[in-house]
Amino acid sequence: MLTFETPNLPASLWDSAIARVSAKVPGIKIKKLVTPNVDRTTYAKQLASSGQLPDIMMAVNPQGFAEGGQLAEFTPEELKDYAYPESGAINGKIYQLPTNAQPQSLLYYNKDDFAKAGIGKVPTTWAEFLDACAKLKTAGITPIAVGGGGQDTFASMYAWAGVLATDVFLQDPDFNKEIKSGARNFTDPAFVKATEKIAQLSKLGYLDKEGTSRSYADHEKAFRAGSAAMYPMGSWFATSVDNDKPPFGVGVFAWPSDDGKAVVPNLTGGGISVSAKAENLDLAKKFALEWTKDKETADAFTKADGTFNTVAGYKPPADMGPLFQETLAVYDKAVKDGTVTPAFSIEQGDNGLPAEFTVPIQQIAVELLDGTSDAATVAKKLNDEYAALQ
Amino acid sequence: MPGSPRHHPLQGGWLRRAREFSGFALPGLFLYGVLVLVPIVWTIVLGFTDRTRFEPQTGWAGLGQFSRLFQDDQFWLVLKNTFVVTLIVVIVPNVLGLGIALLLNRESLLYRLLRSVFFTPVILSGIVVSVIWQSLLRPDGVLNAILVDLGVDSGPRWLSDPDLALYSISGILCWQMLGFCVVVYIAGLNSVPKELHEAALMDGAGPLRRFRSVTWPMIAASVTINTVMLLISGFKVYEHILVLTNGGPGRNATASIAFDVIEKGVRGDRIGAAAAEATIMLAIIVAITGVVLRLLQRREVHV
Amino acid sequence: MISRFQVVRPVFAVALTALFFFPIYIVVTGMLKPADEIQSSPLGLPAPLTGENLEAVFGREDGLFWSSLVNSVQITVLSVLLLTLSSAMLAHYLVRSKARWTKPAMLMLLSGLMIPPAVILQPVTQVLDAVGLMNTLPGVVLSNVAYYLPFGVFVFAGFIGTVPVDIEEAAGIDGASRLRMFWQVVFPTLRPAAASVMIFLGVWVWNDFLSPLVILGPESGTTVTVGVYRSVGEYSTNFGTLYAFSFLASLPVLLFFVALQKQFVAGLTAGSVK
Repeated sequence: MLTFETPNLPASLWDSAIARVSAKVPGIKIKKLVTPNVDRTTYAKQLASSGQLPDIMMAVNPQGFAEGGQLAEFTPEELKDYAYPESGAINGKIYQLPTNAQPQSLLYYNKDDFAKAGIGKVPTTWAEFLDACAKLKTAGITPIAVGGGGQDTFASMYAWAGVLATDVFLQDPDFNKEIKSGARNFTDPAFVKATEKIAQLSKLGYLDKEGTSRSYADHEKAFRAGSAAMYPMGSWFATSVDNDKPPFGVGVFAWPSDDGKAVVPNLTGGGISVSAKAENLDLAKKFALEWTKDKETADAFTKADGTFNTVAGYKPPADMGPLFQETLAVYDKAVKDGTVTPAFSIEQGDNGLPAEFTVPIQQIAVELLDGTSDAATVAKKLNDEYAALQ
Repeated sequence: MPGSPRHHPLQGGWLRRAREFSGFALPGLFLYGVLVLVPIVWTIVLGFTDRTRFEPQTGWAGLGQFSRLFQDDQFWLVLKNTFVVTLIVVIVPNVLGLGIALLLNRESLLYRLLRSVFFTPVILSGIVVSVIWQSLLRPDGVLNAILVDLGVDSGPRWLSDPDLALYSISGILCWQMLGFCVVVYIAGLNSVPKELHEAALMDGAGPLRRFRSVTWPMIAASVTINTVMLLISGFKVYEHILVLTNGGPGRNATASIAFDVIEKGVRGDRIGAAAAEATIMLAIIVAITGVVLRLLQRREVHV
Repeated sequence: MISRFQVVRPVFAVALTALFFFPIYIVVTGMLKPADEIQSSPLGLPAPLTGENLEAVFGREDGLFWSSLVNSVQITVLSVLLLTLSSAMLAHYLVRSKARWTKPAMLMLLSGLMIPPAVILQPVTQVLDAVGLMNTLPGVVLSNVAYYLPFGVFVFAGFIGTVPVDIEEAAGIDGASRLRMFWQVVFPTLRPAAASVMIFLGVWVWNDFLSPLVILGPESGTTVTVGVYRSVGEYSTNFGTLYAFSFLASLPVLLFFVALQKQFVAGLTAGSVK
């Protein structure tokens, strides 16, 4: 079984969950394999290239593997307990259990910094957001933390994914599909306009550019040490804060859009995939399904990683911390308002972009954050890279 | 020495020759053939196909992969990065190494110890060296802390500034290879006969002239060795990039051609495209080797 | 020599070396410090010393350090032994044989000196897969032997060229078998070359990254070099332990270097003053 470790998901959490779920599936023997960095999809590819694809894989993007017949398909019967049983489908079939919803990203913020800069209420429109950034900067506080250094290029995406949600995906949730069909491309005015917003943040000096060399763990550590006032990050940061409070209050808000809608880019998926070549496919599948059904495991992951389990009827433990509750409220409100969108470069399956496009997008995002490429250049680069993948 | 060195006993009946061949030469040649030559040919062949990891059908692409590479800005960027790194790595340790060799070319315990210090990074793995330097070069790492103490406002973004990261990586490679050059140069310097120096001294030649007319010609062989070694290390750089920047910051800002080949073919799906790029890499190496071999041969005539 | 330089030289040399040594100093002192001190006083000497970082590496739950150490030792020893034997014999054959094909064969081998592993890695995995050696220790060893063979042949061939052929002829007349003659008469004369081959290849194989990473793969464990890479993410905020792991992973080659320092230098020298 392939797992990955982050500050939120340490080895002990995996070990106890594996032991617990194994006990429920008689006859199964699980050997844990940890990826060298958070990018488990690339690692799974590397394993596949040497013929060692693990039988059970946690949160690996199934694209490519699935079309190549490497993954086992889950039947509608097996998926009947899931709230969004079609999430992440590839050619209409499910290869990764849609176990949880995970908003990525939201804007977590340092309440002390906001107070110091005299920001009374969290921004709801983009204009207010820029205003807040300006106030922070005047107060000598770097407004926004960014990441993506070393092996952890993925952490560069969270700001860009936010503005693309408000300006592109909210209007057109099928943007990725249209890219793939050729109906639209990245020089699309809406896409460029959204990208321009990040370019502008960079130009105005609102981004903590040092972050682009920080590993993911350092990125979080830096925000906790007060490096910047806002931290665009996935919902797992909420539980991280609840479990280990930084020396300042942390709040959360959704991405502000031009017209004041509170937008939440989100990924439903993140569950287990099973190799089609698993020695004992039934057993492996049973393990995968038990993993999500096991209340204790679901609770443990909810507590550790702030995921919203999407197995119908699941209720998070009552003792979840305040920031998790706040995050869940933001998400629930967005669900009600219809402002939950796919997350750019993070979305998978039929509604996502090819898996191999992910790293180029993340690297190009760093150029955007850094100000080395403007929006037009970024759009052109994306078009070129996408063409090169075909 | 009597007789030519090529005249030797490996002769006799056909059977005996065959037995000798299979005992002495076959195991090595067989392994080399199967695990080096065949893969080379295979890589070249794959470069003319559209093979990807998961598509069951592989078809011929002719020169398609190559023409796409040549039209791809990213390929040229990766190639440029590789040449920049190689150039820096060939020049800097060579020059600094000679200077330090001249400085440390004394026989005493102290100088022997200092030479060993310089050699230490040479025997460390690229992974370990990169891990060490990554921790030093973090934004709030030791190096910047020192710079701030020295009065710099804020240290450079060694690995996150796209204009700087490639040079940081090159610098780390130079640090690692410097000791190799030092030791090779010291060996070369010691091969200069003392009498030559003394003769030049008698003629009243200054230190600079003595270096130019006595020392330099004698260490030419060391220059060749160092250059070849540095060329190889620079051109195939992979681990340092993987650990330090993963090819970033920004799209392929520090990716080398070896890094890109692995990224596409081993960690990614595009086996055909990676093979085409590997083939180009191979062609460049053949060209470089040709030049280097010619230089080596010319030297042998001289010495 | 100029007198003022006699004072300046050692001072300058020591200062320069200290500067060069700085990163290694940080690692060696850092691994003996508790985590918070690495941040607060990275330059200071570790006082009091703590063994907690080293213990953390030794006592890993998954035993990564020990299991990978065993793998590294096995791979390095086997690869180097096989390489020394096969390259010495092949070099001897190619230098002494009068057959016409040996010259192109030699050239073909030498051109392999420059091939970066990235170029052939993908097909190598397929060859090994086809014969069932993928993800096995012998698979890594054989690929090492093939890949480094040119270097061994290059060094041995250069050396054999300088050894007079007479003793071999004499032994041949005595009717000794070719193999026995090689081991008893020829190989002892090649000892200096064998030393440099073993030293260099020992270090290179130990430090190898890509081929153990991909060929050995995670299921059959890793080597220590790959182990360091794999634990980078895990220790990304815990430099003391990362330093300790790096240091321990390098310790065998460092000891090897200290023990065989003279031969190291001799190996390099043999090439440069040939």
